[in-house]
Parts: sequence; C-alpha cells; structure tokens
Amino acid sequence: MKIATMLAAGALALAACSSSTSGTTTTSPAPAGSASAKSDVKVGLAYDIGGRGDQSFNDAAARGLDQAKTELGVEVKELEATAGETDAQKEERLTTLAEAGYSPIIAVGFAYATSLGAVAPKFPKTTFAIVDDASLSEKNPNVTSLVFAENQGSYLVGAIAAQASKTGNIGFIGGVNVPLIQKFQAGFEAGAKSVNPNIKIQAKYLTEPPDFSGFGDPQKGQVAADGMYQAGADVVYHAAGGSGGGVFKAAVAANKLAIGVDSDQYLTAPADQKPVILTSMLKRVDVAVYDMVKSSVDKAPLTGVQTFDLAKDGVGFSTSNDAVTPYTAKADELKAQIISGAITVPDKM
Amino acid sequence: MIGRFSIRGVALSVAAPLLAIVFALTVTSLVLLATGNAPLGAFSTMLAQLEKPRIQVNILNSATTYYLSAIAVAIGFRMKLFNIGVDGQYRLAAMLAAAVGGAIALPPVFHVATIILVAMFVGALWAGIAAVLKVTRGISEVISTIMLNFIATGIVAYLLAPGRLAVEITGSNNIGTKVIPESGRVPGLPIIPGTPNLVFGMIIMAIIVGVGYWFVINRTRFGFDLRATGASETAAVASGVNVKKMIIVTMLLSGAVAGLVGMPQLLGDSYTYGLDFPTGLGFTGIAIALLGRNNPIGIAFGALLWSFLDNTSNSLEFDNVPKQTVLIMQGVIVLSVVIAYELVRRYRIRMVASDVGRQLDAELVTTAAQGGSA
Amino acid sequence: MKRGSVHAIVGENGAGKSTLMKILYGMYRPDSGEIFIDGEPITLSSPAVAIELGIGMVHQHFQLADNFTVLENVVLGSEPTKGGRLDFALARQRIGDLGRQYGLEVDPDALVEDLGVGDRQRVEILKVLYRGATTIILDEPTAVLVPQEVDELFGALLELKQQGLSIIFISHKLDEVRRVADDITVIRRGTTVATVKPADVNSRQLAELMVGSELPTPETRESTVTDVDVLVVKGLTLHDSVGRDLLTDISLAVHSGEVVGIAGVEGNGQAELVEAIMGMRTPTAGEIHLGSDDITTWSTRQRREAGVAYIPEDRTRHGLLQDSPLWENRMLGHQTQPPNARGILLDRKGAKADTQRIVDEFDVRTPSIDVLASALSGGNQQKLIVGREMSGDPRLLIASHPTRGVDVGAQSDIWDHLRAARAAGLAVLLISADLDELIGLSDAIVVMLRGELVATADPATVTPEQLGSAMTGAGGAGA
Repeated sequence: MKIATMLAAGALALAACSSSTSGTTTTSPAPAGSASAKSDVKVGLAYDIGGRGDQSFNDAAARGLDQAKTELGVEVKELEATAGETDAQKEERLTTLAEAGYSPIIAVGFAYATSLGAVAPKFPKTTFAIVDDASLSEKNPNVTSLVFAENQGSYLVGAIAAQASKTGNIGFIGGVNVPLIQKFQAGFEAGAKSVNPNIKIQAKYLTEPPDFSGFGDPQKGQVAADGMYQAGADVVYHAAGGSGGGVFKAAVAANKLAIGVDSDQYLTAPADQKPVILTSMLKRVDVAVYDMVKSSVDKAPLTGVQTFDLAKDGVGFSTSNDAVTPYTAKADELKAQIISGAITVPDKM
Repeated sequence: MIGRFSIRGVALSVAAPLLAIVFALTVTSLVLLATGNAPLGAFSTMLAQLEKPRIQVNILNSATTYYLSAIAVAIGFRMKLFNIGVDGQYRLAAMLAAAVGGAIALPPVFHVATIILVAMFVGALWAGIAAVLKVTRGISEVISTIMLNFIATGIVAYLLAPGRLAVEITGSNNIGTKVIPESGRVPGLPIIPGTPNLVFGMIIMAIIVGVGYWFVINRTRFGFDLRATGASETAAVASGVNVKKMIIVTMLLSGAVAGLVGMPQLLGDSYTYGLDFPTGLGFTGIAIALLGRNNPIGIAFGALLWSFLDNTSNSLEFDNVPKQTVLIMQGVIVLSVVIAYELVRRYRIRMVASDVGRQLDAELVTTAAQGGSA
Repeated sequence: MKRGSVHAIVGENGAGKSTLMKILYGMYRPDSGEIFIDGEPITLSSPAVAIELGIGMVHQHFQLADNFTVLENVVLGSEPTKGGRLDFALARQRIGDLGRQYGLEVDPDALVEDLGVGDRQRVEILKVLYRGATTIILDEPTAVLVPQEVDELFGALLELKQQGLSIIFISHKLDEVRRVADDITVIRRGTTVATVKPADVNSRQLAELMVGSELPTPETRESTVTDVDVLVVKGLTLHDSVGRDLLTDISLAVHSGEVVGIAGVEGNGQAELVEAIMGMRTPTAGEIHLGSDDITTWSTRQRREAGVAYIPEDRTRHGLLQDSPLWENRMLGHQTQPPNARGILLDRKGAKADTQRIVDEFDVRTPSIDVLASALSGGNQQKLIVGREMSGDPRLLIASHPTRGVDVGAQSDIWDHLRAARAAGLAVLLISADLDELIGLSDAIVVMLRGELVATADPATVTPEQLGSAMTGAGGAGA
C-alpha cells in the first residue's frame, strides 16, 4: 500500500516536471473528490530563469501553486524570466501582473529583489512575496519575504551523511558559487562534523556566477561527482538543482550514495537511481508558496520576513528511502536541539 | 543614368530587409500555427504593447545597450576581425568600473567620466590580450576571445565576493559592488510622456558612439585602412597598411566600446554590479551587428527591433503564447537577413556588370554617331 | 566550329571573350541566341550540364589543390567509387592511358605544389579529359608559359586535335594564335567582327581587327638613362620560414630614366624580390636604398610615401578592393597622400575628381566612378591601377606584369605611359613574362633563376629564345 502510494506520487511529480514550460491560465478544474471553495483570488507567479520544468526550485514553487489551485480554487498566471534580461524587464513582468489585478504576486528567486523593490511601492494594495530574499519587507509593508533555513536542513543531512559514510570522506556539490548555496555548504559541513569531527569533506561548485548553468547541467554534475567518488567519498550531497541528475548517475555507476535537494528526489528519480538516493534535504518552496496563497485566500496574508525553518517544517530531510532509517534517530535528536536553540547552525562558510 | 542607378539602388537596399522580415514572419507564423496559436493574434498583441509608454521606455533602454554592443562587434567585423569576446569585455569592465565608481567620491561629471573611462580602459585591455595573441602568436581571435570570456567570468566571480570587491546586501542572497553614489550616476531623460520611467541618459552616449563610428570608418584614413584590410588583407598590405598594427588598434577600439555596453544599465538603473547584472549582451550584439550589416543606421534599427521583440515577449506569455516564440523569431530574422542580403548582393553585382556592358555599348553607339569625339 | 580543329578566339579585354566562354561552360545564361552541338540546340544551365555534354574548361588561373597529388586533383569532383569507397587504381590507370594517348604524361603521385607551371597546365587538361570532354576551352593558356613550354603545349594540342577533339583557344598573343589555330574568330565589344584563316592574315592585321583601328608602332626610342641612382639593392638575401633561400645575394641598381627588366620563369623569386623592395617582406640580409635614403627598415607605407609606385602582379589579390567603388580603389596605396587625404581625414572630393581624371586619361571604360571594381573587365581594372600608380609623380615604379591580361590597345597605351614617365626621369623595375614586352621596354635585362640573378642581357641584341634558354638555366644570354 505504501509503495503504491509512493509510486503514484512519483508519477504525479514526474508529470509535473515534464509539463510544458508555457504559461498556463487554465482556471482550476473541479478538484476530484475533495471539496473546495472557489476563490476569487488571482495569484501571479513570476519564475526565475528555467521556469516550470526546471526540476528544481521553480518546480517546487509550481507544485505549491498547483496545490493551491486544486485545493483553494484560485486563478493563476505564471510568467517566466529570459536569460540575460535586465531588471527593467523583470519590473515589467511584475507590473503587468499587478496591473492585471493579480494579488498575491510571488516572485521566485532573489534575482527579483531589485525589480520588486521598484514595483512594490507603486501598487500598495497588491500583496507581493519573494522567495529567497529578506531585504525588501522591512521597507515595503506589502512585500512578504519567504526565506528558508537551508543551513539547518543541510546540517541534518550532513549528520546523516557522516553516519552513513564508511570511508570518513563525503562530498558537497554546489550548483553555482553564490552566497545562497554557500549557506547549504556551511550547514552540511557543520552537521557532518558534529557527528565525526575528523571527517574529510570535498566541496565543489559547478560554475561561477554569472554563469548559472551549474543549476541545470547534469553533465557537469556527473563529472564532479565522479571525481569525488574516485577520490574516496562515499556520500555526496548536491545543491545543484537540475545538475543533480548527473550526481545520481555517478552514484549509480560508483555504487555509492548521494543526497538530493529541495524536494524528495527519491520519489521522482528513475528506478535504478532510487537505491542510491539516501535522503534529500527538503526546502519546501511549495509549502511557502502554498502558505502564502492560503493566507491570501483567508484574507490575512503573511507579512514581513517568513523564515521557513526546521521549527516550521520549512526545511527537513526525507525518509522515503528505508536505507536512511538507521541514521534518522541521531538526525531527529539534532533537529530537536536546533529547534530548542541548543545548536546554532552557521549560515556562512 | 545616375538617377536610374540610385533609384534602383534604393529599391535594392530596401528589398533585402523587407524580404528578410517577410520571410521571418512567415516562418514564425508557421511555428505559431504548429504550436496551436494564432499568428495574427500574437503579432497584434506584441504591436499593441508599443502603445504603452512604459514599454517604449524599456525598448529604448534595452536598445541603447544593444546598440553599443553591436557597434563594438561591428568595429571588428568591418576588418573581418571577429570579436566574440564583447561579452566578457563588458562584464569585466562593468564590474571593475562599478567597483571603482562605488569606492571613490568625485564631483558629479568627473565621477561619471571616471567610471566610463575605467570601463573603456578595462574593455580595451581585455580585447587587447586577444589582439596581442593574434599578432604575436597567430592565434585566431575567435578562439582567444571565447576563452577570455570564460576567464572574465572566473575573474568576476572571484572578485565579486564579500571582502573583495563586493558587499553583502542585508537579507538578500544577492551580492554586488558598493552602490555608486548620486554623483556617479547618469540621470534619466523624461522624453517619453505618460510614465515616470526615464530613458537612460546614456542613450546620448550611444548616439555619439554611432556617429563617431560612422565618421571614423567612412571619413578617416584610419577607417579606410580598416575597411581595406577587411575587404582584402593582401591588397591592404600592398597598399602600405600595417595589418598587425591595425589588428591591435581595432581590437582596442572594439574593446573600449564593449566596455561601454554595461554603462547604461550600471549608471542609469542598477548603480551596482550584482549577480543579477544582465549577461549575454555581447552575443546579442553579434546578432544585431549582422542584422544591421555593420552600418550604424542599420544597427540602430536592428537594436530597436531586437529590443521590441524582447520587451514585448512578456505580453505573449500573458496571452499563453510561449515566449520562446520570440527567440525563434530573433534567430530566424538574423538568418533571413544574412541570406537576403547575400541574394540581393549577388543580384546587384550581376545588374551592375550587365549595366557596365550595356553602358559601354551605348557609349560606343553615341561615340560613333558623334564621329568619335569622346 | 568543326570537330578535330583548333578554333581561336581573340579580342580586346572586355570584348566578351570570357563571357562567351562562361556561357559555353554553363556559368552564365545567355539572354538570347542558341548554342548547337552536333546540330542539336542545347541549353547549358550549369557547368555540370556542360561537362555532361563533353565541354571542358581550363581556366587561366589554375584551379588545383596544391597539397593534393596529381591523381587526387584529376579525380576531384568525379571520384571513382567502388562500393562507396574511392577506387584510385582505376583512376590511376585511366590517367596513365590518357597521358600516353595525348602526350600529356605527368607523374600521378607528385604533389601539385611541386610541379612547374607547364606540368600544372597538363594536369588541368588531364582533368577535363578525364571527365570525357570532347571540346576543350583553354583560357589564355600561354600567359604563364616560357616559349619552350608553349611549344610543348602546342604539341599536345596538335595531338588532341588529331584524336578528334575540338579545342577553343583564347589568347592575346596573336603570333601563337596564328601558329596553332585552324580558324580565328575576332570579337570586339561583344560581337563577332570576323572569322579568318591564319594563313590569310598577319599578326598586325589581326591586331587591327581586334582594336578596330590602326596600331601604334612600338619600339625605336632613345635612351633616357641617367647616372642618378634611384633604387639600389645590395646583397639582398631572403629566407623562408624554415631557412631556405628564397633570394640569394641580389644586387641591382635602377637609375633615373631607366627601365630594368627582370626575366625569369615564374616562381624563381621575382615575387619575393618585389615584395622585399616594397617592404612587404623583411630581408634576412642586405640593403635597399631609395635615392640617398637607406629604406631597408622602412614600412611599406613609408616607402610608398617616399615615391615608390607599385603595379602588383596579381591585381585581384594585391591591387584592388573588388567590392569597393573605383574612387576608393584610386585611394588604395595612396590613402595618406593628396589628393586622397587631408591630414587624418579622407578627401573624398579630391579622390573622386582625380579618379575621373584617371578614367579619362587612361581610357578606363566604365559608366561611372561609383561602380565596384569587380564590375570592370580585367584590362580596365589594370588601366585603373596603372593610372593610379603613375599619379603623384613617383620616383620609382615596381611594375609586375603591367600588361598581363590586357588587350593590345590597352597594352600599347600602358607602354606609352611607361615610356613617357621614363623620359621624365622615372626609374622602373619591370617584371614580365612577356619577353617581347621585356625586350621592347627595358634598357637592361637581368635573368633570375632560383632566387639568384644569373645573367644579364642587352635588350638591343637578345632574342626571346635566348632569354628563354637563360631563364630555364639551359644557357647564357650573352652575359
């Protein structure tokens, strides 16, 4: 029964990933079974480069949106960024949505910070939200910041990796060398060292900004992971979005373990990769998006900086692969200590 | 005779772009139909955007940047020198100029001038490396400039870190150079009524660069040497052109203009070089230089067209037409322009050759009739 | 024309010879008129069709891949295949057969770059024969050959003719045409003027038919040679990139009012010598003086500004910008000097006015100075170049094949201009493959062989045959 559910969920997620990148305005179909109120809330979602179908955090946002559409009956409009565009073009995107009466308007990704800062004051009655940025909500009462304690989630999977490693050698692969991803690394390394202070940690970033291809190049991921496995690592954690697929391939080839990121990648991976995906660091962008929409539907939109941390279950680790079971007790213990404040996880390298 | 020549000349020079646009529209329509969208609807949606003052400002602003990039590329193209490295040159130049601009305090005009000069210097320097490699070691500038793009990316990434040239922006995942103070900014121009948005003041710089490009290429000895080298290197050498020197000077000029590419955005809008600074403008410039046939006026039209397509693609997406349609359209336009111009060029050469023949025949008859007094 | 005959087509440059040939070879489409082969009207829409109909063309400029062997060049474009793979054995045998049959034997495995001009031409002819041509068009085949090679070529043509092939022979050299052709068609300004038998005309009459008027008489002139050194070359040596000698210890002097001719088979260092004097190559050793200045280290531009004019050997590569208008071509090489420039700016008005002057004075036939250089016929292009280089009172003129590919009328015009300038004190270094021209114009002749000056000759006494022998290293020329 459990397996059947998981497969069904996997299939659904796969379907979501492979859906076209074009915008969709289909007013939500009557959700099957569950009772749902038809809402007059119109949600605008502005994706970062890659958009729906990037198998990374744009997709996570899309999942939250889809859930809101089905359960809350909201109307949605999704627009996507073009590579190399300027802030003016992002502003235009947000303005178009605002003028068309969409509220809340959720900008996915910190790249929208400057443009949202310019647009938000012009539409004081519109609710905006931005993922991965906390710099705007202080000055703009109508902007909600949706940020995550990725370092906390990474701390836990770091602890799991250190326990699972037999060689005392683990790896971290970041997609692009930006502060956001360094935050993952910082948490991961701290978590691993909390279990094994002498552990060796290899770290590599696939590309340097402004080359953001490291978030969508499985080939690069595979080469980097291959290198780490050959150098003795037996667990590799990736925070590299779409490049993660290559990390899993390398893990299969080396018969070693890998840790996914953002969503539970065990569920969406092909059958041959499932065994090697020990766990995934969950960054629940979908939860954040859903909560944001839900609060708007409830006429009490979230405001200020909303940090989705362990306490809020905004980050965490997945347990769908039974192989992780031996290590979860320790991770849960650490989790409690983080929530209680006994452990402070660093957010910088 | 002259009259006929020029009327047909005008007709021919209009024919090529017209042909290209008709062809591009046809192909795009087919793509739209194939994806189940109405072509006319999509085109009219885009055109309708033109009425919005805000969009007009955006089109002018993007076009300013594109124009500078295309001129930088065209300078090299006129000499058959393919500066593929405009992209790296402008990014490195913008980043370092932004860092300098944020670090110093000068009176308004001097501050802006310093930033611009730094950008031009860095752009020229970066392009100069490729030139020196070509002249001393015979390395194709195509390869070296592409490689230098990657190296520029690496350098920018290294320097754009807290503690080096970047400062963290509290609460944001973005990082950027220190914000350039008021004195180092170029005020916008309120030339489009109906919107608070301003047109980049640097549009004036772009116009100056365009006029300067035209003047240097067409009216100076240097420009003649440059064009001659592009038209036939062997003939240029025989005419006394020092090709090595030309390569160096031309690449430096191209790089200096490339250095300006990031300036409209930096001095008119961002005031900092951050992770979200636009990338890839150098490659847009290559396409637009091709589109404008290296001609300063042609490039202006090309930049505006490109910018129009870019800035109205959001509206397509809003109407549920995939915005990638615009990318297809841009690609098809460049290809059709290249092909159409080649066709028209060949046709023109055939026409002129047969004209020369006919003219000589006519002359002969006249001469004979006048009893040989030519 | 008849099967098994040699039909020559002669005419001035721009008379339409090349155009006619290009129509026959399917490169151009005629506006009107018909072409018949064996009584059948045919449409030649492309070279491929022409080849199929048995028409082959040997171009004036060889179209061979230098780093391929003879065999590879011959089969290029019609490669024999067996089961999708190249079948060289068959091709080798056919080439051998063809060579023996027509007296065109060439080593099939030699690299084309190692072959002499005569051999290369044989490869070109083999190429068209290999494709089964029964009618062969030869475009100015003798322009690049020394007299001995011309004889060999004519021998081969005779062989081909006797085997029943038809040959269309285009040339400026009227003596040769009369020697080899069975029929001669003269065309002028695009129409046939006359078809004559070689026995019925002499060269002079033929030339007059071509030009349409009486020819000026060449020769007979007084020496204008002075003892003022203009160009002095001392011990000039030039190595190529791997250190082989291209030029060895060349010393010569050209005085004001003197024409010094350099005789030599092409590829014996003349081009390198010219480029060294022009500053386009840096000599390994030796000195070059212009008047009282040592110009060894000067740039090409400095030399040009000092009054060195240059008529390059290959006008399309070195002399013109094909896609630029005539008036811009007038600037080329003189873009820093009046009337083309004022300070760092171009003087477009001055250049245009002076281009018009050149067009008028040198009889460049063009509807306007705004047409592209590529629209002019070769002869008119050459007249423009000569006019340009004679402008601005040069002290020294380096003239490489100044009348190559130029019709008789233009040729004598150019000669007149050279003589007039010489009389006014111009020093001329003349390189030419046309031995009559060389003997007729020069005050002194030196012979160049393998990068060395091997002999001198007195143009007053030497014959083309003696010169030819000296050029191939077969014997002295009265040194």
